[in-house]
Amino acid sequence: MLPRIVKATIKALLYFILLYVLPMFFISQLSEFAPELFARYVQIFNLFVAVVLFSVVASELTSGTIFQHAFNIGKAIILMLFFVLALNGGIMGLDFEMEGFSVHILADLRVYLAMLLAIDLLGLAKSVLQAVNFLSERTEKQLPTPKPS
Amino acid sequence: MKQAIRALGWAIYVLWFVVIVFTASAVYSAFQLRPEFGDPNMSTLDDTLILHLPLNITNGGFYDISNFHIATSVTDSNGTLIANSSSPPQLIPSRSNVSVTHNISISISQMIGNLSYLLQNDSVFNVNATLSLNYANVIPFEISTNLTLPWGAPLSNLTWGQYSLTPSGVALPVSFENHSPIDLDGFMRLEIFDNNNNAVGEGTTIINASPYSGYGTTVNVHVSGIPANIREAHLSFETSAFNYGPLVIPLA
Repeated sequence: MLPRIVKATIKALLYFILLYVLPMFFISQLSEFAPELFARYVQIFNLFVAVVLFSVVASELTSGTIFQHAFNIGKAIILMLFFVLALNGGIMGLDFEMEGFSVHILADLRVYLAMLLAIDLLGLAKSVLQAVNFLSERTEKQLPTPKPS
Repeated sequence: MKQAIRALGWAIYVLWFVVIVFTASAVYSAFQLRPEFGDPNMSTLDDTLILHLPLNITNGGFYDISNFHIATSVTDSNGTLIANSSSPPQLIPSRSNVSVTHNISISISQMIGNLSYLLQNDSVFNVNATLSLNYANVIPFEISTNLTLPWGAPLSNLTWGQYSLTPSGVALPVSFENHSPIDLDGFMRLEIFDNNNNAVGEGTTIINASPYSGYGTTVNVHVSGIPANIREAHLSFETSAFNYGPLVIPLA
């Protein structure tokens, strides 16, 4: 169990740096130019990182069991829902004030959302295949070895 | 099955790489856009008032901007449509500089057809401007804003004084302030009617009112018959920008 915990901790730390520390550094740099634009998405981004980190740790702790694949399948589904909700179905609107004028920005991110969903669908397919493969390998191990006649 | 799982794994890595690179470069490129608004200016052509809105865009990013166009609609304070303008779609290639001028054309003669009060009353127009573009050929954007535009009436404070009887007819002092950028050239026509509603005299005066200036004149009308029997005058304007009137002025 201890090696798994160590491995999970190291993996979580790497993911945390890659998914949170580095992006937040860039976001804080960009926020100087358009603070209203990014402030709204920091919370959503934190949630995204939390979901990914939880699934990475859970998947690592349960590696070698069917739960590992179940967590991966769950992660793929949750991330798909998350992307749809975070990108507001692909049509995003933003209102802000600029030099005394109220400005409304509408962005059609449906193509971008489709790319993210395609990745998650591939991840889902991979996790399902891994689960099937895991079960078939376990069943094969449980079968009695045929004796030479 | 293991090959399929491995292939899916590689496909996921490649797609994530593409998405991350695209996202990072798109955000970076968006911050390399430098839109600069020039000073708006006005010009007139016949009866049309044209508002020029110059815009200079420097696209220092990696991606082209296609279908870039501006659409504006101008309404009066009651929401009545005055003018609709749309610039043709333009392509702004990456690492290039493009200047666009959006023109809002307001036909005065069409406008006074149903909004004649704007000839005598200063007002504020509401301008709804929408800027549409297709960023990196993948992400359509629409940016809209509401502006207000002051409208100066060309016949603001149109007043007439007490008429006076002259040996040959009637003299009526008329004055107004041209608050608009239009150079008012044309005629002011005054028709006199008697108690039997017959036209008994007509006089015209050349008007030449410069933009943003006051104008006053006295219109002299030769009246046939007895000047004491006159009842009302009809004042009308015939200018290069618009025809307006008649305005009924009681004289009795």
